[in-house]
Order: sequence, then C-alpha cells, then structure tokens
Amino acid sequence: MTTDVATAVLLPDARGVRGLSTSRVRGRDVLGHVVLLLLSFVCLFPVYWMLATSLRPPNAIFDVSLWPGTASLANYRATLEAIPVVQMLFNTLVVSSAVTVIQLVTALLAGYAFACWNFRFDRLVFTLIALTWLVPFQVVMIPNFLLVADLGLLDSLTALIIPHFASALAVMLLAQAMRSFPLEIVEAARIDGAGSWRLLWRVIVPNVTGALASLAILIFISTWNEYFWPLLLSRTAENTVIQIGIQMFMTEQGNQWGPLMAASSMASLPILVFYVVLQRQVVQSFMKSGLR
Amino acid sequence: MHRRIFLAGAAAAGFVARAAQAALAPLAIDAPVTINFYNYNLATAGLGADATRKLLREFMEANPKIKVNGVGVPVTGFTARVQADIAARRQVDLVQLAFADLDFAVHSLGAKALEDMIPAEEMKTNFEGIAPNGLKLGMLEGKTYGLAYTFSTPVLFYNADLFRAAGLDPENPPKTWAAVKQAALAIKAKTGKGGLATGILGPSAFDWLFQGVVRSNGGETISRDRKRMTFAEPASVAAVLMLRDLNDSGALVNLETNAAMEAMGAGELGMYLQTSAVQGFIVAAAKGKYELRASTMPSFGDKPVRPNNSGSALFIFASDPVLQRAAWELMKFLTSKRGYTVITSEIGYLPLRTDIVNDPKYLGEWVKEHPLVQPNLQQLAILEPWESMPGPNYRQIVKTMMDAVELSVTGKVDVAATLLAAQQTTQGMLPK
Amino acid sequence: MRLWRLPLAPWLYLAPAALSFVVWVYAPLGRAAFLSLFEWNMLPDTPIVYVGWANFANVLALPKLWQALGNTVVYMVGLLPLSVLIPFAVALYTQDLPARWRNLYRGMIFVPMIVAPVVAASVWRWLLDPGHGLVNVALKYLGVGPVGFLTDPGIAIWSIIFITGWKLVGFSTLIVSAANAGINPSLIEAARMDGASRLGIVWHVRLPLLSSTALFLVTLSILLGAQWSFSTINVLTNGGPLGSTTNIYYLLWDFGFSSLSVGWSSASAVLLFGGFALLAFLLFRITDRYSFHDN
Repeated sequence: MTTDVATAVLLPDARGVRGLSTSRVRGRDVLGHVVLLLLSFVCLFPVYWMLATSLRPPNAIFDVSLWPGTASLANYRATLEAIPVVQMLFNTLVVSSAVTVIQLVTALLAGYAFACWNFRFDRLVFTLIALTWLVPFQVVMIPNFLLVADLGLLDSLTALIIPHFASALAVMLLAQAMRSFPLEIVEAARIDGAGSWRLLWRVIVPNVTGALASLAILIFISTWNEYFWPLLLSRTAENTVIQIGIQMFMTEQGNQWGPLMAASSMASLPILVFYVVLQRQVVQSFMKSGLR
Repeated sequence: MHRRIFLAGAAAAGFVARAAQAALAPLAIDAPVTINFYNYNLATAGLGADATRKLLREFMEANPKIKVNGVGVPVTGFTARVQADIAARRQVDLVQLAFADLDFAVHSLGAKALEDMIPAEEMKTNFEGIAPNGLKLGMLEGKTYGLAYTFSTPVLFYNADLFRAAGLDPENPPKTWAAVKQAALAIKAKTGKGGLATGILGPSAFDWLFQGVVRSNGGETISRDRKRMTFAEPASVAAVLMLRDLNDSGALVNLETNAAMEAMGAGELGMYLQTSAVQGFIVAAAKGKYELRASTMPSFGDKPVRPNNSGSALFIFASDPVLQRAAWELMKFLTSKRGYTVITSEIGYLPLRTDIVNDPKYLGEWVKEHPLVQPNLQQLAILEPWESMPGPNYRQIVKTMMDAVELSVTGKVDVAATLLAAQQTTQGMLPK
Repeated sequence: MRLWRLPLAPWLYLAPAALSFVVWVYAPLGRAAFLSLFEWNMLPDTPIVYVGWANFANVLALPKLWQALGNTVVYMVGLLPLSVLIPFAVALYTQDLPARWRNLYRGMIFVPMIVAPVVAASVWRWLLDPGHGLVNVALKYLGVGPVGFLTDPGIAIWSIIFITGWKLVGFSTLIVSAANAGINPSLIEAARMDGASRLGIVWHVRLPLLSSTALFLVTLSILLGAQWSFSTINVLTNGGPLGSTTNIYYLLWDFGFSSLSVGWSSASAVLLFGGFALLAFLLFRITDRYSFHDN
C-alpha cells in the first residue's frame, strides 16, 4: 500500500505505474505487451500485404514471398497513367474536409441542445435522430439523387457534400460528451451573464476537443471511404473521388491487382496522416487551465 | 362523286404516309448536336476504356457535327444509374446494356425499336454481313432494340500441360459433359490440381451460362411465350443433376469468379468454362507458365450444344428524332467492321460481323495470331439469345432461380424439389 | 435543467441537424413507405400501379428469409467481442502506458480503418485462399489441413465476422479512448489514494463511468452489425456458401435495394427500418436505465 502511495506522489499523473520494479508488475506488463503486439500484427499484416503487393514487379503479383524481392514502382506508374489519381485525391480531400467540418458544427449545435436543455419531446427527437443511422443508404439514394438533380447540382462535388450535413453518430457522441460536463461551470458562466451561444463556444467546446477530434477522424474516414453515393453521381473520372478510381481497376475481365493495390495504398496515406495528427488531441488531459 | 372521294382518300393516304415518315429520324444531321453515350468500359482503367475512347474519337472525326459525351459508369449498379438518370430527365441517348436487361429496357425504360426510327432500306444495308442469329440476340417481340456490341460465348479453357500430365490428349479436348467429368477426375487424381471450374454460379454470372447448359439438354428456363417458368421441368432438372454429380464426385471445384480466374491463370485448374471475355486475363497470367488452349462448350452426349451469348448490346433511348439519328450514326459506327475490329482485338469480345474475320484489312492477321479465339468464332454460328426475364421483378426471378440452382449443385438438397419450389415462387413474380 | 429563459433556444440549435435529417433521410423514407404499396419503375411517364401488400408478401416469402434472420443474430452476438470487449481492453490497458507506447499501439490497431473496405476484403480473400493464401500456408506448416475459410458453410460466417470486426476494432478503441480521457483524473487520484490497485481502479472507477459508452457501443454493434459486414460479404462470399453468410441486411439489399423495382426496394426498406427501429427502441430503453454520468 505504501509503495502505491509513494508512486502516486512521486510520479506525475500520465505516466502510470510502470516505474515500479516489482516482478509481479513486470510479468503482467510483458504479457500485456505480447497480447498487444499480437493484436497489432493481425491488424497490420493485411495492410502490409497490400503495400508489399503494390511494390512487386507486375509479373510477380501473385507471389507469396513475404518481402517484395525487387521493389518496383511500376504499379504506381501504371496507376498514375491510368486514372487521374491526384485530381481524385484532391476531390476526395475537399469533400471529406467539408463534410467533417459541417457535420461537427451541426452536431455540436444539436448535441448542445440535448445536453443543456430539457424540452418537450426531447427524448422523441433524440430517438428519431438516432434512428436515422439505421436507414441504409441505398434506400434513400434514389430520392436523394432526384432531389440533387432537381437542384441542378448533379455534376458537382457539392452533390457529394450536401446529403451529409448531419450525422446521427456525431450528434449522439457529442451530446454524451457534453452531458458529462460539470454543471457548476455552466452555472457559474450563466451567472456571469454569458449567453448560450458564447457559453457553447468559449466554455464547452474547448473541453470536448477529445470527442471532437475522435469524431473528426471517424467522419473523415467514413466520407473518404464512401462508395455508393459517389458511384451514383460519377460521370467523369476527373470529377469523382478516389474510391471510384480504385474500383476502376476491378473489371469484368479480371482485376488489375498491381495498380489496384498501388491505388489503394495511395488512397490510404492521407487518412493515416489525418489520424496521426489528430489522435494526439483525442487523449488529452481532462482539465484545461481555468478549471479545477 | 366517286372520284372526289377517291382523291380525298388518296390525299388523306398521302398525308398519313408523310406523317408516318415524319416519325422516323431525319436522314441526316444539319446542325451540331451532342449525345450522351452510357458505357461501362469507360469506367474501367485499362484496355476497355482506351479502345472505347479511340472509337469515339474516330467517330467524331468522321462526323464533325456530332459530339459524343462518353458517360463512364461502373458496371455494378449500371442499370440502376441509367434508370436514375432517366427518372431525373437527363439526356440519355445511347446505352450499353446487358442482354439480361433487354425486356426491362424495352418495357420499363423506354428503349426505342430500330424499325420505328430508321428507314427499312437503310437498316437492311447496314445489317449485311451480320450473322442472322446475331441480329436475333437483341430482338424482342419481333422488333430490333439492341445490336450486340460487347458480347461473347462460353468457352472451355484448358491447361494442355495438366492434360498431358494426367494422360489426356490436349489435341482432343472433351466435347461432352461425361468426357469433361472423366478428364477432371483424371487431372485431380494424377496431378492433385482442380479438375473443372465454371462460371455458371455466382452473382455476377446471373443466369447466362446456366441457360446455355439447360438448353443444351433440351430444356428451357422460361417458356417460349414467356409466360411460364420452366426450369424445374425434367430436361432442366436432368441438367442440374449432371452438375450436382460433377460437384459430388469432386470433378467440379466450387470457386468464386475472381478466385477461379486466378486459379486458372496460376495453373491450378485443369479446365475452366467461362465467357471468352476473360481470355485476355488468363492468357496474360498463363504466359510462361503453361500452354493454354480453348475449346467449345460441352454437350450432353449426342444432343446439339446450344450456347447463348453473354455481354451487352447498344440501345437507343433518345426520343427526339434528331438525337435518334445521331445515336443511330454512333451505333452504326460502333457495330461496323472497324468497330468490331477494335472491340475484338483490343478489348477481347466477339465480332458480330463474321466477314471481317478472314479479311486481312480487319481481323485477318489478328485471328491468325490468336488461335484461342477460334472456338468462340465457331460457336457464333449456333449462338442463341440470352433470354431476358420479363416484368419489373426480373432480377428477383433470376436470383431466386440461381439461388435454387446453387443450392442444388453445391448443397445436399433434393434437386427436383428445390427447383420446383423456386419455380413456383418465380412464377408468382412474372408480370400478370 | 432549464438554463435560459428562451424555450425556443434548443430548437434553434437543433434546427440545422434536424433539417438535414428531414430532407435527406425522413422525407425519402416516407416516400419509400408510400411507394411500398405500389409498383413503379420510377420513370416519370409510367403509371404507378397500386398493389397493396403484394410487395411485402413477396419480400417475406423469400426462401432465405429465416436463414438470414438467424445469421443476423449470429452476426450481432459474434461481433461483440471484436467491437466492444477487445477495444475496451486495449483502450484501458494502453491508457496507463507511456505516451509513446500508447499512441503506437492505438495507432497500429487503428490502421485497418484507413484501407478502403473493398480493398481490405480483397486482400483478406487472398490471405484466406485455400490454395495459395498465407494463412493456410502457415497452417499447413503447423500440420493442419487447409481450411476453407470462405468456402466452408460452417466457417464462412465466422470469417466474415472476424474480418468485419478486424476493420472495426480501431473505431471502437478510438471512441473508448476519447471517453476514457474524459474521465476526471481527480476521481482516479482519489481511488489511488484509497489504495486501490490498477485493476481495482479499472473495475470500480473507470468501468462504471464508461458504462454509458459501453452500452452505446453494444447497442451500435447490435443494430449496425449487419450493415457493417455488408461490403465484406459483398466482396467475399455474396451471401454464400449456401446462404450461410447472408444476413437480413444483405438479403434485403440483394433482392430489394439493389433491384430496379421501387416496390421491392421500398417494402424492404420499410421492413428493415421498422424491425431495427423496434430493436433500437428496446435497446435505448435498457441503455438509459443503466447509464451513469459523472454529474
């Protein structure tokens, strides 16, 4: 017992108890690391395989060797020649970023309403919003397509963005994050005369950056990997997103595996960067300055 | 008085005749016009797209007044996209639709019959050189709606090296299903590799190969008058029982389409019955590994083999007469000798015009260098149409039927009973 | 709590999201509900034919319906270890590691999410191939015969569940990590002062506070498991072999949503939505009862 207290006093919060030198702790830690490494291996291997295949020379695509042997960029070259990858990646970036920002804003506003007010029908509305997630996209695809056509937006990236103005997951997660926010702070701010708008942006938002960051990652990825709606709207290769580009290597006469893996490797890279940049925000200490 | 009535009648007849001709497309284009060509080859990254773009370029150079927008739509969800665009009142002029969608295209999407738009003389001139049964492929209820564009026949690819290793003669490939079974079992026993794989089952196959198998045994999947489902009748059940026997004996390897293509390319399969459209892939994969050969679809004993085509045809959807004429000009070019030369040699489908096969100006040289295409060409002479199912539930009909076939071939169920149950369900899905 | 006097305020905040949902989800859904009683091919010039309950009868008479429902339950339950248990274990365990290890492990576990679903499924098909797939090659090394991961009707569904879960572990881990980071450290401190062991802290402090997140993820997994596995099924088995991997979502997609007949599509949509809405309603009830907030 005393050792634990000493540790808590001596070591700062975020570092955990790894500094202890009891063999019991070390044994458990080793086991933990082994399990995590195994899990990571299972998670990483198929992705590694995708990368390795993309680097194989074109006539060795079906090899089972673990290492590409002679690494070759031929597949990447073929991809860049076959489809306008850069343009597609740019389009996808624009669409994903726009959707992420817009969904975060609408979800912040909606989650705020649920977290900080009790109003008539709030339960019902919350459930209705949550239920929208159960509606499979193909069901609403055609009516949405007709609506977008009527609005004259068919040949634009805007059409890829506007049906996604709000997300049920985002609303639910932010409402939950905000509900856990201590009431006293809110009360104090209200007594100070802060209006609801200012309170949202000045006080609450800076303290849910963890939830915001994780949502941003999830929304970005889900929009990036979206396939069916862009499929319905794609007319030319230059105006569409990378997922459609990847599918162009899957034909009725057989898949072109080399360029396919190269294209999807290129498509995965931006998301990985986005995740690495934002994940630091996900795990941040609970309290920012000004709060106790 | 009679003369006056006669003259009035003649005038009226002349008026009606002129009105009827006004319904036909104009004979030439005067002002510049733009048409949309919905095509799924354009939505791939490869030979199909390049060849199509080349053809469109050549067409536009020869017809400066017609501009063609190639709308590339991926093949999954292609028909849904055409339907959505028509519903949204977009301009849909010429479309490359699968033969399975023929009835739906005519009765639901509004495809136009060539006889209603083009003067009979012009059609006759254009169709010279096309095999008569080739023309029938795109006909429904006596009118021509589609011209076969990218289509093929079922071909039995086989691995000559595995044949030799199993003690079989590659110069005499099996011609009947019984011989195929024997060969498959021999390959399996002596080399350990898979004997036979087919493209009969699987969602992307739909029912095109299955129809050929049933017909070759004297059955039909749907009656000639298109009012009764008949795939549970004795001849058809016998065909399925044959497939079941292939499966249960171990001759048939049940692989999904991509896996089967890769296995054949890797030399893991003795024989593969599939559309000749995959030939390019398998030839490329087999290069340097083994000797690949091709033969015709197997028959049931002495009964004549009756394969049908796979693939798609070109359909005109435009309503405006000027657009119809422009679309028809494009359709003529794409199905011309030059058009089929490019399609066959660069994408890998069949030419509907058999006279270009030996013509050195078109396919003569290419055919000599690619002997594998011979079985394909042979079957062109006996090709029958891929029957499209009628009514708005046509997809569900085919899916229900093929689900029952899959269950019968690869499962442990009673074949006749399963097929009968499915036939009754699909009967209820036919239009009333 | 009624914070501000304007009772209109919450509705104003709700408006943008609500408007979006009404326009893009509920209006089309309502239209689908309406159209489910008709037969129409969506084209403006063709008549809309009233057929009453015929579409629903057709969908409910599908031969694979009961099999699909049974499989759906298997999917729902089978995904839980991968979509809830493992992410919780990983998030909680890595919380106490030094930042570098924590971020590294969480990052590696997140990697499956960055790959396009179709490509990920294709790579797995390759890896699980009975002939040249690496998994079977490794098994052969260990003396175990080749396993038909995707071709054996008894095993295929578990392969699909595994691959779907593989893709989702990162998603749940992220959500749990975010929720975990939102726990007031003073509570953890207080527990440590009281002499609780690391496991005790997890059991008595973190888990109860994360209970709402846990229930949320369980609900999510149950309601969306069938949808999440869709692209994997579509690429790998198409519902086979012999319908063993078909779930209710896939079946309704195959016969309904992906068909060109608006009647089938709408009836399928109404049935799917209705069924899951009922389930969701029940699950939300349970979730609310057992949730626990820091307030």
